[in-house]
Amino acid sequence: MQSPTPSQGAKILLIEDDGETCSEIRGALGERGYDVDDSATGTAGLNAARRGAYDLLIVDRMLPELDGLAVIETLRAERVRTPVLVLSALGAVDDRIRGLKAGGDDYLTKPFALGELTARIEALLRRPVETRATVLRVGPLSLDLIDRNATRGERVIDLLPREFKLLEYLMRRPDRVVTRDMMLEDVWNYRFLPQTNLVDVHIGKLRRKIDAPGEQPLIRGVRGAGFMLVSNPDAAKI
Amino acid sequence: MRAPEIFRTSSFRIAAISAGVFALGALVLFAFVYWQTATHETATIDRFVERQVRSLTSGHGEELARDLLLAERPAERGFAYAALFDGERHPLAGNLAALPADFPIDGHAHAALLGGERPVRAAGAFLPDGRIVFIARDVTELRQLQRVVRRALLLGAIPALLLALAAGALLSWRELRRVRMVNRAVARILQGDLKERLPARNQADDFDRLAMAVNRMLDEIGRLLEEIKGVGDNIAHDLRTPLTRVRARLERSREADRPPEELEAAIDVAIAGLDQTLGIITALLRITEIEEGNRRAAFGEIDLARIVRDVAELYGPIAENAGIEIAVAAPSSRPVKGDRDLLVEAVANVLDNAIKFAPAESRIDFAVLDGPDGPIVRVRDRGPGIPQEERAQVLKRFYRADKSRHLPGSGLGLGVVSAVMNLHRFRIAIGDGEPGCIFDLICANQLAD
Repeated sequence: MQSPTPSQGAKILLIEDDGETCSEIRGALGERGYDVDDSATGTAGLNAARRGAYDLLIVDRMLPELDGLAVIETLRAERVRTPVLVLSALGAVDDRIRGLKAGGDDYLTKPFALGELTARIEALLRRPVETRATVLRVGPLSLDLIDRNATRGERVIDLLPREFKLLEYLMRRPDRVVTRDMMLEDVWNYRFLPQTNLVDVHIGKLRRKIDAPGEQPLIRGVRGAGFMLVSNPDAAKI
Repeated sequence: MRAPEIFRTSSFRIAAISAGVFALGALVLFAFVYWQTATHETATIDRFVERQVRSLTSGHGEELARDLLLAERPAERGFAYAALFDGERHPLAGNLAALPADFPIDGHAHAALLGGERPVRAAGAFLPDGRIVFIARDVTELRQLQRVVRRALLLGAIPALLLALAAGALLSWRELRRVRMVNRAVARILQGDLKERLPARNQADDFDRLAMAVNRMLDEIGRLLEEIKGVGDNIAHDLRTPLTRVRARLERSREADRPPEELEAAIDVAIAGLDQTLGIITALLRITEIEEGNRRAAFGEIDLARIVRDVAELYGPIAENAGIEIAVAAPSSRPVKGDRDLLVEAVANVLDNAIKFAPAESRIDFAVLDGPDGPIVRVRDRGPGIPQEERAQVLKRFYRADKSRHLPGSGLGLGVVSAVMNLHRFRIAIGDGEPGCIFDLICANQLAD
């Protein structure tokens, strides 16, 4: 579905024992229109997750009584398929792998930018467009996955392979914030690379080709978060 | 009062034990010889003598005379003396003038001294008619042998024992001296002179081997302390700089009547500064994670040519913006065992570094070569290069040549490369590009398959 606003009204359960972090996250998500409940221990969180029908769970790894990974494993064993975002101060690669193996869908290390959190929540709530169509269309853009060419309206766009990959990623997530980390991880499958403006430079090159002078920009920067490909360039900026 | 130190050394104890064992062995040997001579031989002689006496007294008259005639030459029959006495102990025949005083005539062998000086084993018995038969065997030589053995014991074994102890004491004294030297060296090291090393005379004895092992440990400790010190110095600078900036900006903004845009800007600066600091901390943790990593267990087959092409694609735009051309030559390469993420990170860091230092309008050669031990990833730039003296330093955490202090970045990039290469047991070689730097990642697998 293409809507310019995030998934308003989605029910989120936050299982986090640190009071301040909890209220910060609640505040940020509340402002975005999400409906947030919270639990402070692993057992309370597990019970709440079983009872309420949540659209998304945010689970901190370090929890009293029952640790986060155990909560997730139990839910998965009980066939609860709600998407889970794992939060952790443990940032080592092995920790991340363990979190995802336990059944988490995404893993964020603290401290994180709130923009990063919300972008990833959106990504989990609205899965990318998984279509068998061989041509993707977003607004005036059209991407032919077989012939490997792109057009904006009538104008043919000449893309390098790396630019094509990036555009395809954006076009599968229209009107959603995509963070730099998300792009590094999903498009190039890398995590720890020097020069965090790598992504910016790639996006910059793509923009120059997609948004010719005089055309409405389709690739927009989102402050404190990342970028977004808009389907309706004439709509008001977010 | 405690015994002098020399007696407590292990070598003295060993010498003492050896001397003791030697003495015991000698004692046992001599005791055996003594027993043989004193007891055994004597008993044999006794039995012989007694037998002769018995056979003589059981003989009849003529046989007795004949026997005694033969007894004139007693040596032929194995005894020194044979004589016949009457009931009053007057000599009748034989080569003995008189019976020894107080000699029991009972058919059993006893010791006797003939003529006051000749030691014999003798036996005497009564004939039915009252006459006395007396047979004796000379044991002079036997007694002499016994005396020799006793003397050998006193004059030989005991001095040998003392010699062994003296040798032990000498060796112990030398060892003690070495131990004292080592203790003094250790005391100096503990007081902070970390350059001190234990004396090892290269004689390949246990002591020297131990000293060399300790010296190697000291070398390693010295290296680690230097690294920590280096980290400490640079961390202080690199973490405090952004935090100071942030603090100053925030403090200024607290002053009254600041317009909201300025406050927003101050907050942005604060966030940027904190992110920069966090980035440094993350990178440091990353290096620790790599170094302690168990990642070797998860090694797979890696295509380095593919990695080079991917990294080139990733950094292409950045190089373009700086007017730098990346010339890629990576047709194919032998597979190596490794961790893909880490190797990409290492290669990316090397290329990133080259891009930072390459002048505009220059070319960076980025290639995979087939080296003698394995594939080599080579990055060659035409920048200022790395001077010979700095090449070892440059791979340490947080090292930054003075000329690059102004460039952004945490200085940890090459530290990461070093950690990844170490984990894989690959090597790094830095060469002179004339101009510029040639940075080689020599991916020769020295891991057992």
